[in-house]
Amino acid sequence: MAKNKTLLVAMREYSENLRTKTFWLGILSFPVILIIMAVVPTFLAKAKDVRRYAVIDPTGWLLPAIEERAQYGEVLSLLKFLQRKAEQGESSLSKLPKALREMANGLEKKTAKQLESDARLMTALGKSLANLQFMTKPVSASKKDEISAETTQFLAWVTSLSPDEARSLKAGVKRERYLRVPIDPGIEDQEAWARSKLDNGSDGLFAYFVLGPTPLENTDGFKYVSNNRTDKDLKTWIGKLASDEIGARRFAKENIDRDIARRIQEPIYFDEKQVDEQGLEMEVSSKDVFRQWAPLVFVYLLWISIFTIAQLLLTNTIEEKSNRIIEVLLSSISPLQLMTGKIVGIAATGLTTILCWAGFSLIGLKWAPKLMDLPMDVDLTILISDPNFALSFLVYFLLGFLFYASLMVGLGAACNSIKEAQNLMSPIMALLMLPLMAMIPVGQDPNGTLARVLSFIPPFTPFVMMNRAAGPPATWEYVVTTILLVISVGLAFMAAAKIFRVGILMTGKPPKMGEIFRWVFAKERQ
Amino acid sequence: MEYALTLEHVTKRFGAHCAVDDLSLAIPTGSIYGFLGPNGAGKTTTIRMVTNIIQPDQGEIRVLGEKSSELTKDRLGYLPEEKGLYKKMKCAEILAYFGMLKGMDARAAKAKSYELLERYGLGEWSDKRTEALSKGMGQKVQMLATLMHDPQLLILDEPFSGLDPVNVEILRDLILDQRRAGRTVIFSTHGMEQAEQLCDFIFLINGGKKVIDGPLSEVRRSAEQAVMLDYDGDSAALQGLPGVRRVNDSGKTAELFLAPGTDPQVLLRELIERVRVRRFDQREPSLHEVFVRAVGGRQAARDLSHG
Repeated sequence: MAKNKTLLVAMREYSENLRTKTFWLGILSFPVILIIMAVVPTFLAKAKDVRRYAVIDPTGWLLPAIEERAQYGEVLSLLKFLQRKAEQGESSLSKLPKALREMANGLEKKTAKQLESDARLMTALGKSLANLQFMTKPVSASKKDEISAETTQFLAWVTSLSPDEARSLKAGVKRERYLRVPIDPGIEDQEAWARSKLDNGSDGLFAYFVLGPTPLENTDGFKYVSNNRTDKDLKTWIGKLASDEIGARRFAKENIDRDIARRIQEPIYFDEKQVDEQGLEMEVSSKDVFRQWAPLVFVYLLWISIFTIAQLLLTNTIEEKSNRIIEVLLSSISPLQLMTGKIVGIAATGLTTILCWAGFSLIGLKWAPKLMDLPMDVDLTILISDPNFALSFLVYFLLGFLFYASLMVGLGAACNSIKEAQNLMSPIMALLMLPLMAMIPVGQDPNGTLARVLSFIPPFTPFVMMNRAAGPPATWEYVVTTILLVISVGLAFMAAAKIFRVGILMTGKPPKMGEIFRWVFAKERQ
Repeated sequence: MEYALTLEHVTKRFGAHCAVDDLSLAIPTGSIYGFLGPNGAGKTTTIRMVTNIIQPDQGEIRVLGEKSSELTKDRLGYLPEEKGLYKKMKCAEILAYFGMLKGMDARAAKAKSYELLERYGLGEWSDKRTEALSKGMGQKVQMLATLMHDPQLLILDEPFSGLDPVNVEILRDLILDQRRAGRTVIFSTHGMEQAEQLCDFIFLINGGKKVIDGPLSEVRRSAEQAVMLDYDGDSAALQGLPGVRRVNDSGKTAELFLAPGTDPQVLLRELIERVRVRRFDQREPSLHEVFVRAVGGRQAARDLSHG
């Protein structure tokens, strides 16, 4: 006896699959999608026009105050951005303009509070430097002396920052998207002017604001005019700046101390914690947040690979059936050997795909954070190399794979053409859609009722259990679902074997679903 | 006598339809056996049972002295009626694969595949994909795949269909080679010419039942003798001829079917008395006639096989 015949079939099936375009497209689609996902948003952001807006201010003081607060926001985002860069070290700083590079020195040691006060100070200084006439807060002489050359240079750079420069910096400042158009004070009817400019050519307005004449007394007359109903960012941003300013002034008017006012207004933040295995509280790190959502990627991968492989398996089975190679094969081996070989071969193909993807991901995760300026504390490789995670993924992947492969091979055996197969495939596809739809709710509540119930329905087990990895599910749940899944794989395999035996030599019109069920439950005759 | 294949009271039903009905056959080792019968007669079902692709409902099949099973599969070679190959595989590769499925080890299968392709004029195609082959070449590759493991029993379903005359010649030599090597060949065909040229035995099946089974010479001899006659004269004169069972008269020509044991010499003398004979052509009926008659009328067929 030479080689095991089942293994021979599996090997042929595997090498045949490696020669198909579908297989390589499947493997390559993953990094391509990753790259597209990384690159396209940047391109889109670049392609997006800067949105111009105008503000009509009957009070004369509110707009400058809003501007000042906006300036503060921009300076703070830039400082935070520089702090992140400074923490990453010299190499990431070297690409920045000189003004920013020098400003970044020493920033890594500052706390969030210190950054905020720096930003506030700089905004005030910037105003005096630019000789702006609207000053709400006098700058003391002693502070003025502290203005270093770096700060002057930095502020000059910020003031002259163009939207394009802002965008290429990726610091997340508002200026990269919104640009205020000043209104000539000589214009009589400013609203009519703004209305005529709205959506009018390349230098037209995206939106304009009309501020109320008596903002300290009431909110009458505030208006936001735009024909774009989807982009609410601008409205929210200016709205927040205006209410902050008006709030502060109302307190001042009522002679309420600024600090008291702040204390009254201070919102409550819940400090997020979680409990570890020893029952101790611990910080929620970004890694854990990631851990909750990363499984979604794996659910997707499993889904896509099952989908791709199902196509291959169907095509191969129907090819053998339609050109009658099947008869030669069956004159050499038993239907069960043939079917087993095909399923093993396809599982090996799937495993190869997954390993390639894992390889791409590891490489990608090592380099992507550096390329895309992601914070480095999200070390994604830890997750993939976590043995529990990797092992359960592998087990569920294989079992899920075998389950669906059995269904597909049974289906392929019953059909004579891809077209027929597609008709019969729709119930299986519907079955496959469910875990995809449940992905978000299960991810949000990994140990909820929906998640638990779905885990125990074998066709969904692999997807849902992967989806719940952040929970994580109890050990007994892993054990019981796995046992259930193994039993289902066995049953699916046996059913497929029966369909295979009868269906594989059938020609002519395709069998109905009911007929297929009869084959499954028919007594074995021998 | 030693038998390569025996069937005893084999029956196979598909639902209500009885595809093969109580069939018994014994095929001697080293013979070439022709399976004849119209479409749907039960030939392919019989062959599939012999190759153990499907199992009979009743009866027993013995292949090469053993009860038919998965193990006997390795010792027979089967060429199915509709022929196909994996399009993406290379010729030598696919031959080796089929050989290995029959239990050959990888190295031997590879060597044999190149050797066979070379010997039958397909050497330059060895490393080309089968999708590049013409239809005839593809069939040849399939035929070679059947021979890879030197099977003791070869079963060929319609091997001649779709072949050009040159390839028919090659295939015929190939079958004769197999017999010379002491192997048994069973083939089904609609081509009576090939069956007459090659077969030692003929088996005719119709409606799942055996109609004729025996050595070719006997089958032909047992059939009704006929005489083709061209004549001038009164067609009434052909009635009541001694030893003539039936007359198929067309006016100027007629076909006379003789009762068993009739001497054509006596008939000719009688005819000369009655009409002017232009042609008197006595011959054994062709297999074609045997076939058409056997399948055309059930009654005639039964007479024939019992006669």
